[in-house]
Amino acid sequence: MSSEQATMAPSGVIKPTEHRSSLLDRFLMQGGIVITFLIVAVVATALVEPRFLNRLNLINVMRNFALLLIPSLAQMLVMTAGGFDLSVGAVVAISSVVTAAVMLVGSGYFPDMEIAVILLSLVAAIGVGVLVGLTNAGLVASLSLSPFMVTLAMMSVLMGIALYFTQGIPIYGVAQSFITGVGRGQFLGLPIVLHVALIVLVACIVMQRFTALGRHIYAVGSDLRSARLSGVATGRTLAIAYVLAGILAALTGFLMTSRLGSGQSTIGGTLALETIAAAVIGGVSLRGGVGRAEHVALAALFLAVIANAMNLVQVDSKYQTLVLGAVLIVALAIDRLLLRKRQA
Amino acid sequence: MSTPSGTKAQSIGPLSGGAIKDMLLAARLPIAIVVTLVLFGLVEPRVLSLGNFRNIAIQASYLSIFAMAQTMVILTRGFDLSLGYTVSLVSVVASMAMVAMGGGDASILYGVGAGVLIAALIGLANGLLIAGIGINPLVTTLGMANIVMALSSTISGGFPVTGLPRGLTAEFAQGSLMSIPIPIWFAGLVYTLLFLTLKATKFGRSLYIIGANPRAAVAAGIRTLPVLVLAYTLCAVLAALGALLLTARTGSGEPNLGGNLTLEAIAAAVVGGVRLSGGEGGVGAALLGALFITVLSNGMNLVQIDGYLQQICLGVIIIVSLIVNRDVARR
Amino acid sequence: MLEVTGFTKRFRGIAALDNVDFSLNEGEVHALLGENGAGKSTLINLIAGTFPWAEGVYRINGRTITSLTPQVAQEIGIAAVFQEFSLVPDLTVLENIFLGREQSGSLFLKRRQMRQAGTELLDGLGFNLPLDEKVAFLSRAQKQMVEIAKALRMRPKVLILDEPTASLTDGEAEKLFHAVALLKGRGVGIIYVSHRMSEIRNLSDRVTVLRGGKRIGTVVTSEISDEGLIEMMVGRPVEQLFPSIEHRPGAARLEVRNLTTQDHSVIDASFVARAGEVVGLAGLVGCGRSELCRAVFGLETIEAGTITVGDKTVARPSPASMLASKVCYFPADRGSEGLAMARSARENATMSSLDLPALSAGPLLKFWREREVIKAPLTDLALRPMAPERKVSAFSGGNQQKLMLARGLMRPFDVYLFDEPTVGIDVGAKVDVYNLIKSLVAAGASVVVSTSELPELINLASRVYVMHEGKVVAELGQGELTEAQILSHYFGGRA
Repeated sequence: MSSEQATMAPSGVIKPTEHRSSLLDRFLMQGGIVITFLIVAVVATALVEPRFLNRLNLINVMRNFALLLIPSLAQMLVMTAGGFDLSVGAVVAISSVVTAAVMLVGSGYFPDMEIAVILLSLVAAIGVGVLVGLTNAGLVASLSLSPFMVTLAMMSVLMGIALYFTQGIPIYGVAQSFITGVGRGQFLGLPIVLHVALIVLVACIVMQRFTALGRHIYAVGSDLRSARLSGVATGRTLAIAYVLAGILAALTGFLMTSRLGSGQSTIGGTLALETIAAAVIGGVSLRGGVGRAEHVALAALFLAVIANAMNLVQVDSKYQTLVLGAVLIVALAIDRLLLRKRQA
Repeated sequence: MSTPSGTKAQSIGPLSGGAIKDMLLAARLPIAIVVTLVLFGLVEPRVLSLGNFRNIAIQASYLSIFAMAQTMVILTRGFDLSLGYTVSLVSVVASMAMVAMGGGDASILYGVGAGVLIAALIGLANGLLIAGIGINPLVTTLGMANIVMALSSTISGGFPVTGLPRGLTAEFAQGSLMSIPIPIWFAGLVYTLLFLTLKATKFGRSLYIIGANPRAAVAAGIRTLPVLVLAYTLCAVLAALGALLLTARTGSGEPNLGGNLTLEAIAAAVVGGVRLSGGEGGVGAALLGALFITVLSNGMNLVQIDGYLQQICLGVIIIVSLIVNRDVARR
Repeated sequence: MLEVTGFTKRFRGIAALDNVDFSLNEGEVHALLGENGAGKSTLINLIAGTFPWAEGVYRINGRTITSLTPQVAQEIGIAAVFQEFSLVPDLTVLENIFLGREQSGSLFLKRRQMRQAGTELLDGLGFNLPLDEKVAFLSRAQKQMVEIAKALRMRPKVLILDEPTASLTDGEAEKLFHAVALLKGRGVGIIYVSHRMSEIRNLSDRVTVLRGGKRIGTVVTSEISDEGLIEMMVGRPVEQLFPSIEHRPGAARLEVRNLTTQDHSVIDASFVARAGEVVGLAGLVGCGRSELCRAVFGLETIEAGTITVGDKTVARPSPASMLASKVCYFPADRGSEGLAMARSARENATMSSLDLPALSAGPLLKFWREREVIKAPLTDLALRPMAPERKVSAFSGGNQQKLMLARGLMRPFDVYLFDEPTVGIDVGAKVDVYNLIKSLVAAGASVVVSTSELPELINLASRVYVMHEGKVVAELGQGELTEAQILSHYFGGRA
């Protein structure tokens, strides 16, 4: 770049086609940045605040991690397919409202069939997720509108609906067994929500690596035109990605409802930012085609750990948003600068 | 018959159905504004009163300033998602500065200075991150939005800042010059300045070229970094101007002032026909878009439609206008 | 086997293909010849189902087809390898070969089976490729091979090859010719698009020549001479296509010494361009000649070397500083780097001249003078239609090219760098471009032309530098400028 360099003699000849895959390269490719971030965060938190390693605290971290991981995987699916989903938080909110409402009404009709009612509310929430996913996909894929604008508008619509029906007031009266069994329940000493999140994670990893759908999602996100010419059903692939994202967001809303014990239209406000941060820190490319579920999981864990650390040292929750915004920008800046260095 | 003139080859004569359709499409926004007014007027006659028109004009002048600010970066294929929270922060910071300087009418200048300065810094940071380091504008400004939001709510403690100079509200919100309310003067001034900037400066021309094809702009010797940084800074400073006017109207520094403004400003620009793909559109489009959105929300308020339903409407209108504008561009 | 009659296709009311007949027999190689913009790519795209035809009948194996998509085309046995690849950069070679046609059980991919099939496919063609490398990291030649392998995964009956050797080295091209012969033996019909006479002569059974969207004729290859084919293609004897340029080499205007770019697409390259002459840069697509021009103009990061313009050494070239040093560059791809398509012809013509006193004073733009300032250059270039307020995207390819060239006429330059100046424009526009180059040289400017069209090098240049894998491997002067001489250096001087 500098003028001194420009007048220097070339130092040895390198073949233009030679692909230099250095150690740094591999480190970066395998999620090196996330792992480093995570280790530093865990060690630093444990040193500064030993309460971090408390069993109860760790379980709390795990729960938060699980509830961030599922929507982050949703965001990842859409982003690897070349899109963007700002409506993730709004879907969580509306599905939380739907879960609680269905449960409230359902238990009125069938007071003795608690489990059936809980399942019914899950089906209803997921139905909402599917509907939103289909609408997003229809507008993005069939009408080729900007995914950013579509999901931004969708966010406004969904938040409006959720708030209109609840007027911002939480819906109480969900089944007690739902709260104790799912949201606060444990299995093998670990939170149920963590088990659910890990199952979703494994399903995503398998889907990305071992199925044609996984490949097609990468292909569509990397180069839509080439994918279409190669015989990939691009519209259908995009639709599946958005619908899966909608389902995962709805699942998050269902689980959050059981955690909070009420249906709330105000949850999920910063979730769009948090999931995008998790995806980006986990190496998901904003241009699509690149990103792995396991790296996103590490990034979500990292974010859950720093949020917990800030709680432990009693940082105002408003500053947590600030830190999140800063972390997102710094992570992207590092990524860009390293990329430049690598291309050099 | 095939003519080499290209796009117009299909239309047959100057006054054919196609030409009329073209004219209607070009004037679709003014028509939509009139139709909306009339429809609401049928339900609620107050909509069509002179006093309400004055109200609409004042309300639209605030929104149009934000929409025009947003347009300056959308023209470069960019976006500013931090605009709304910048408005909040400016309102809080400017108010605190005025209070700190005694709260007299002379302190207004300090408030303006502090507000514009903090906005300029935010815009500068956005511009440098986007154009200097090359981070995606959506994510940069999304991250910045959260930083700015956190700052405005912590600095203010979440409470409105009161004790502002009396002259602020009296002059800049309720005052008028030649019987035209001051906010309308400001909107007109911003429109005129931006219109001239886009038409008659190298900076304005560069914005369009960069937005239409950034690589071609570089190859043509246009220095993109300063142009983009200036665009984001200008956007933020204009947002600060709007924030100061809104603060004058509310009479206090409000940490929640700009919550919905990002979406509304983008909506106004998009509805007006500013192309998200960059390089097409102008501040006039943003102005019309802002007017349409204001007419709509004013009408809904007067016929007492729930505020949350209005939010739904806003989302639907964005999507509809995206579809309409896409089809117009395809013709 | 395949027969199309009366094929017509219009874009924006302009006929890109006008009533063309074409047929292909089993086991036949049918070459398609024509200038850029003659309709070749439109024809093969219609046959491959990329977009629908407006009029005409499409028959394959006696069956009439009414509509076609790329997917359906592949299923009925038509595969195409276009110059613009259909590879996904973030997937590996193997993943790309089977993309959209994955072998899969009810749920999971049959990865081992695909690996084996992929290996067999590549071995059968004699291509040696790293199966697990991301396509983004491959060279252009390697990508070309992946694309060919991918086209053959469905065992097609018709294979379309669009200038397949444009970026291949000698040895790689040999492998391709071998594969073509192999497929021909299996009864596959091949439509072969190429510019190179020697390939057409060696490979093809018949040649169809297109010009201006019309079919000029179909001939048996062995029954026509090279000159005959060229005349059919151009529509006039070659001598009338190129103006005679008088080169009067003067002082060195641009001198590049030992230039290496940061990405090593150009390595240790040196050349000199003098006033009053045309210098040619030759080589395969991807050999570094485009990057060399771009680096000189400040569009590539330079790692080492010096650039001297006139008598000043430019340490860190940037487009703005090079324009100020009177160096002008015309990019190869006017769509991606040359023009702001959504803006008017006027704004595009002036976009690199906004700092001229005639157009601006400080930060202010004298927009009212713009129309007047561009009038002379646009008239000289014979822009059609002369509509300065029309969007660039509404002009034809040749006129878009003129709008880009207009930038060079807004003020005097000493050095003009042309990268592929005649890609995608019709013969008339080409002649206009050649005449422009002639007048620039006559006025004492130095012109550098980087092109893949050998006739341009032979007929326009006074000297030619040949590049191979980023290096300048030969300099040829007057008397050495023949197709055979230039081509012999294309592969690093091994031939």
